[in-house]
Amino acid sequence: MALIGANGSGKTTLLKLISTMLLPDQGQVIVNGSDTLRGPQRVRSSVGFAVAGERSFFPRLTARENLDFFAALDDVSTGQRKARIEFMLARTGLCDAADTLVMKFSAGMYQRLAIARALMKQPAVLLLDEPTRSLDPGVKADVWELVRELSAGGTTAVIATHSFQETAAVADSVAVLRRGELLDYREIKGLNAEDVGSLYFRGEWHAPMNDSEVVLEGCQ
Amino acid sequence: MSLAALADKTAAIFRRDLLTAFRYRSAFLLTAAGALTELAAFYYLSRAIGPGFRPEGLDYFSFLLIGTGFYTFLIMGIHSFLQTVQDAQHNGTFEVLMTTSTRPSVLVLLSALSAFSRNAAQMVLYLGVGLLVFNGALPRPGAGCVPVFLLSVLIAMAIGLMAAALQVAMQKGSAILWALGAGAWLFTGTLFPIATLPQPLRFAAELIPITHALHAMRMALLEGAATTTLSHEIGILAIFAFLLLPLGLATFSYSLTQARREGTLSCY
Repeated sequence: MALIGANGSGKTTLLKLISTMLLPDQGQVIVNGSDTLRGPQRVRSSVGFAVAGERSFFPRLTARENLDFFAALDDVSTGQRKARIEFMLARTGLCDAADTLVMKFSAGMYQRLAIARALMKQPAVLLLDEPTRSLDPGVKADVWELVRELSAGGTTAVIATHSFQETAAVADSVAVLRRGELLDYREIKGLNAEDVGSLYFRGEWHAPMNDSEVVLEGCQ
Repeated sequence: MSLAALADKTAAIFRRDLLTAFRYRSAFLLTAAGALTELAAFYYLSRAIGPGFRPEGLDYFSFLLIGTGFYTFLIMGIHSFLQTVQDAQHNGTFEVLMTTSTRPSVLVLLSALSAFSRNAAQMVLYLGVGLLVFNGALPRPGAGCVPVFLLSVLIAMAIGLMAAALQVAMQKGSAILWALGAGAWLFTGTLFPIATLPQPLRFAAELIPITHALHAMRMALLEGAATTTLSHEIGILAIFAFLLLPLGLATFSYSLTQARREGTLSCY
């Protein structure tokens, strides 16, 4: 599912609510059957969050060391860890930079490492905050391919994005947010970027939602 | 959580801290140089005062060596909790760390354990240099130092959790800890016996667990006090630990929940 909306519409806030970085003042966030207020640890075990921004790694550790550290905290078994790190480094195109200190990374490399980290624990729900913002077109296509593969394998992916192209490429549904409210939610499978863009700019995403509950496979 | 998983997480945190410390070698060298200078100052201070001054019946340099060594160990231990949170806020890892499959309280305790181990190694080095280079003396170290050490660490962990909670809640934990540390320096009998203080201040000193920890550690290391001899001090430390540890855990947990509600988890 893609989340689209202007700056400040609440896309990242929604992702943070799902990941338990934020707790709701009212209402409930239920992820994979667990309430973020009553069972936050169960939620954390099933959610992987690739946060936007460059500052979420230990700068004096290498990419491989960072992944190894977070994998240990996410209960990835020691037997599987090494192979999974190598696989994720390969999938995100970071093999050549695996032993480089993270403080020397570019914005795009940080972005890819954040995706690799989020996928290390093979989460049931994957949250991606503007995952391709700083990536070049080739890597962007690889990330979209990866997301499509994960979705086909049963992972629920929620992507906050400003890109209609990205929305059309990876999402089968879209939620439109405005000033913290859900403006619309609909299936968009089969639409291309131009269709999504024209719907957005023509203001056709305005059907008021009486029932604010949106149910996905992994979260509601 | 299984023991194997706990050991794995502990190893990961120790490895992260060792690698980071190794890549910040200059910081370690500066700390060592600072400690050496401090010891030299205490050595010449005790010589200037002369052998006639024997606080609590002890040689003054040995009194200072144990007092400052153990005081620094405890205060740095408390500070390490705050530092763990502060560093994670500064390098942007705090939000991510608080949403891994590891409970936040376990994560902070393990990070602090790693820092305590580093501080313990520094304390041993500090005492070793004091004994070997500056002719300090531990005439009769007694077994009483073991329970005193363990209880003191528990108390430092409890206060550390409260300091970390302050950092999460107010983002100014280090300023408050600095003020408390300066007060503790005066009240806890680190540099001089608390008997020197006027009665009201002496009463205040008795309410600080570090005062009892330092007194008991000096008795154990310099007078060979056994566990039974130290039962009064050990009892006081046990009561402090019993009261403060649950309070520290509850305070930290509460401040984290509040920060998640207010969206200030990553603020610093």
